[in-house]
Amino acid sequence: MVTGSTEPTLPAVVRHLFPTIAGLPLGPLLTLSLRSLAGRQPRLFERLGEHRSACYFIDPVDLAFAFTVIPDGERSLVRVVRKSETATSSVLIRGPLLTLLGLLDGTLDGDALFFSRVISISGRTEAVLALRNTIEDAELRPADLLGLHGHLARLVDRGILGALNVARQMTDRNPGCEAPEA
Amino acid sequence: MTNARMELVCPAGTPATLRAAVQAGADAVYCGFRDETNARNFPGLNFSGEELAEGVRFAHDHGSKVLVAINTFARVNDVDLWKRAADTAAECGANAIIAADIAVLDHVAKNHKQIRLHLSVQAAAATPEAIGFYANSFGVRRVVLPRVLSIQEIAALNRAIDVETEAFVFGGLCVMIEGRCYLSSYATGKSPNLNGVCSPPEMVSYDDEATSTAARLSGFTIDRYEPGEPVGYPTLCKGKFKAGGKTSYLFEDPVSLNAGGMIAGLKAAGVTALKIEGRQRGKGYVTEVVRAFRKAVDAVEEGGDAIEIDRILAGQSEGARQTAGAYSKKWR
Ligand code: SF4
Repeated sequence: MVTGSTEPTLPAVVRHLFPTIAGLPLGPLLTLSLRSLAGRQPRLFERLGEHRSACYFIDPVDLAFAFTVIPDGERSLVRVVRKSETATSSVLIRGPLLTLLGLLDGTLDGDALFFSRVISISGRTEAVLALRNTIEDAELRPADLLGLHGHLARLVDRGILGALNVARQMTDRNPGCEAPEA
Repeated sequence: MTNARMELVCPAGTPATLRAAVQAGADAVYCGFRDETNARNFPGLNFSGEELAEGVRFAHDHGSKVLVAINTFARVNDVDLWKRAADTAAECGANAIIAADIAVLDHVAKNHKQIRLHLSVQAAAATPEAIGFYANSFGVRRVVLPRVLSIQEIAALNRAIDVETEAFVFGGLCVMIEGRCYLSSYATGKSPNLNGVCSPPEMVSYDDEATSTAARLSGFTIDRYEPGEPVGYPTLCKGKFKAGGKTSYLFEDPVSLNAGGMIAGLKAAGVTALKIEGRQRGKGYVTEVVRAFRKAVDAVEEGGDAIEIDRILAGQSEGARQTAGAYSKKWR
């Protein structure tokens, strides 16, 4: 489901950063940054409604590991898991890391990526939609989720968001959801 | 009405998208509350009262209007939810309420005289008599036209009424008469007209099978896709079904509306406002579409020719299959 040759590759800055980050207790660090985000922007998590207790399995196909995320505000929990540990998750999201990060700040259109199968999603569609709409409104930068600040945050954001322009060209347009309107 | 500049009315499912639409050039943004009172009742979408108040302030500071869609039909013994939504919209300083239910229209007309009333497309008012009823009874100032009229019919209608008309020009297309579709009620037990959602996401599944992916709604297979083929959201009226021994898109092909090439025609037909569908779409998409339509509408207002308009909107026809719907009279 994931495209091959046109897949955006990790920029040098992130490639160099990742072995270092992977050596750290990534799960607890991301848990902390998500909880501190909840402290700063509680409204963001309200938008998830009942789906804040759902378990999202996030699988960046270009990394050797995956994450499970329970985005429950100040009780959020992120774990680094093996790619096979999908059993307890209600939603599975797979895609290139850059593309997944591009969804965070709205650089990339989640619908288009899903419908054109650049990312693959399975599980409870309503939980996926709630997460997607929440992220859309949050206007997060990649560094917000990595818990980075200052100069390093700016550097990482610039590197990732720059590379996302490549990914953007892969997206397509789709009618999306039809229904009567206003 | 043809001398006034046409208004570009754009969708916003979240506060961030509202800001994006305003900054991309929307004259007005329409949005709704996070409940069954609006016909885009999807998880994670829509506004709280507080967010609407902030959105209205932002839009007004930038010279744009906010129209609030309270456009589903109220449930028996539960009209209060709809009335409270209208009260909140009025308190937030919204410029108009878009409604279809007579109880909601009546409540706004009696209690919030300062706010404009727009008749939702959900009311499916397409005759001078029907529109006259809403205008006379509730002071409706604008009618959102059902997507079943040709440009000639719209021109004739505008000559016979003295309220403004608003026409959809881009986005998802509901092919039945709005407010009257029961397809999803049969399949899912939920209705766009009462619950604000057609194809409720909790009943949608994408199942990978041996040679294809099946998109299902409430267990019914709506379409199948080959590996790598772009998938669609399963919508009953755009599904592939077997009838008379033949498998086909029985009601309508999976197309979306693009009447960009008809902006000048709609203006000549006396249309006041052009509406873009897509409150469920992200801010990247909304920004791009609003920007293109802003340029196209401005070009039409300045007398630009059809070639120039086509060039401006060329990028908006990639990917999805599109139709000019009933406007061009070729639609089946
Ligand atoms: S099934 Fe089609 S026609 Fe019916 S409400 Fe949904 S989009 Fe509209």
